[in-house]
Amino acid sequence: MLTRSTLLSIALFQAALLAVGFLVSGNNYYMLLLTQVALFAAFVAAWNIIGGLTGQLDLASSAYMALGGIVTSLLWMRLGLPPVVGVWAGGAVAAGLAVLIGIPTFRFGVREVWYALMTASLVVILNNLFRYFMGPWDFYLPNKWGWLYLRPRTYFELFIIVDVVLLAVILVNIYISGSKIGYYLRNIKEDELVSEAIGVDTRLYKLIALAIYSFITGAAGFLQVVIYSSFSYRLFDAGLAISIAIMGIIGGLGSISGAIAAAMVFRALGEYLRSTLGGVIPGLDLLLYGVALIVVGILKPEGLAGLFNQLRRWWRK
Amino acid sequence: MTKRFGGVVALNDVTLSVGRGEIVGLIGPNGSGKTTLFNCITGVYKPDKGRVFFMGRDITGLQPHEVAKLGIARTWQKVRPFRNLTVLEAVTTGALLRTDSVEEARKTAVEVLELIGLPREEWGRLGSEITLMEHKLVDLARALATGPKLLLLDEIAAGLRPHEQERLAEVIKKVWSDRGLTLVVVEHVMRFVMSLSKRVVVLHEGRVIAEGPPEEVASNPRVIEAYLGIKPV
Repeated sequence: MLTRSTLLSIALFQAALLAVGFLVSGNNYYMLLLTQVALFAAFVAAWNIIGGLTGQLDLASSAYMALGGIVTSLLWMRLGLPPVVGVWAGGAVAAGLAVLIGIPTFRFGVREVWYALMTASLVVILNNLFRYFMGPWDFYLPNKWGWLYLRPRTYFELFIIVDVVLLAVILVNIYISGSKIGYYLRNIKEDELVSEAIGVDTRLYKLIALAIYSFITGAAGFLQVVIYSSFSYRLFDAGLAISIAIMGIIGGLGSISGAIAAAMVFRALGEYLRSTLGGVIPGLDLLLYGVALIVVGILKPEGLAGLFNQLRRWWRK
Repeated sequence: MTKRFGGVVALNDVTLSVGRGEIVGLIGPNGSGKTTLFNCITGVYKPDKGRVFFMGRDITGLQPHEVAKLGIARTWQKVRPFRNLTVLEAVTTGALLRTDSVEEARKTAVEVLELIGLPREEWGRLGSEITLMEHKLVDLARALATGPKLLLLDEIAAGLRPHEQERLAEVIKKVWSDRGLTLVVVEHVMRFVMSLSKRVVVLHEGRVIAEGPPEEVASNPRVIEAYLGIKPV
């Protein structure tokens, strides 16, 4: 659970993140970049619950993000429900869809590659469905600002909101990890047959993991809409869902610190490469992910988490 | 009970009853249906015909985790290693069946690990770092931690050296008397079964071909034929 060393690392991480925030607060581009990176890390941290802890290679992250974001936006624009309330509804709708799909998926034992393909296709299906109903347009958020709409006037304040969300997702991860649910999820990842034999309702617990992950992703989805100031069917982005999963894998499946480190380093690097060399060599950021995956696969299959552990051991010597 | 896989009849009208507190040995050549019988009892498979009763309750068709909750635990023939959990975590997970508190479960796990005599310095090791014998002990401990009334041991001695088998038999006897368990022991190693059980059931091609005290069964011509494929002279 919350030991002193985890508490200390969270505090250090927060201090560092806020320090960077203060440092770049004068520059809107860097501020927005940092906010985007932190939000991406929050999505990866949420994915860690289903992908890292439970071992289900879920590729539908962006589907829940987009669905939650769009629901929250529409509730605001059509019904006047302020997003500070609406995000909970957005999360609930995302989790509702996830559970609805999850029940038959887990009932019929869809797993591994098949689970990955099924979840990936969910993003594509929703992408097409929303393009059909929404058309190809971008819908802009109303010209209203304030905390009530989770849409502050400055990027720095937006960064603070995202940072709080990231911190909350990290704490949820740590809490789950130390609880009965976490023990059961990790055991499901190891061996479903053994889990059943020692009394784990594997279907139920996979559904719980799926619901928590999709709820968080859906609720945080609106912040992505806020960063873009608009939404369209393109939010259902298969590439984004895959890169979220990739970060979880590079980080070392199941390790929250590794997942967040991978998310932040690679997203920032990718973004940097895109802005500097993107015009010269398009797709360089994607190439970087690929290279990182190969390097991790060969040298450190446990991911960055393995590296952290090694460093920790080396430090103690 | 009958179970078919396609055209193969894995269990053909098998009847087995086990009394409370008994240790029953279940033997038979490879493919005779021993593991299939376990899988039908624990809900991994649903039998095509017949029913499974446990303490007067019909448990046929229940899911494995429901069967476990009622008090039937098992170990695995092929070691199913856990790579990224420690020994203590693995056993604690088993104990979480009877409680929602991780603390309490850990206490149960410690008791069980002490009972089976796995040295304390092994508890913090990952599943990828322990030996086959230790895996078998942890598998046993994890099953015990779920608080079973009936424990099914599926070839737990397989692959172990003779002195390890002896030690394991001692541990199993200790656990049996300490916890007041009922045991069904599937085994190839005859010596292992004989040292444990008073009653042995022999399966061959999905049928029960002999039943009785181990010495009697071992000299039964049908059993010898099943194992060696020849009629004794």
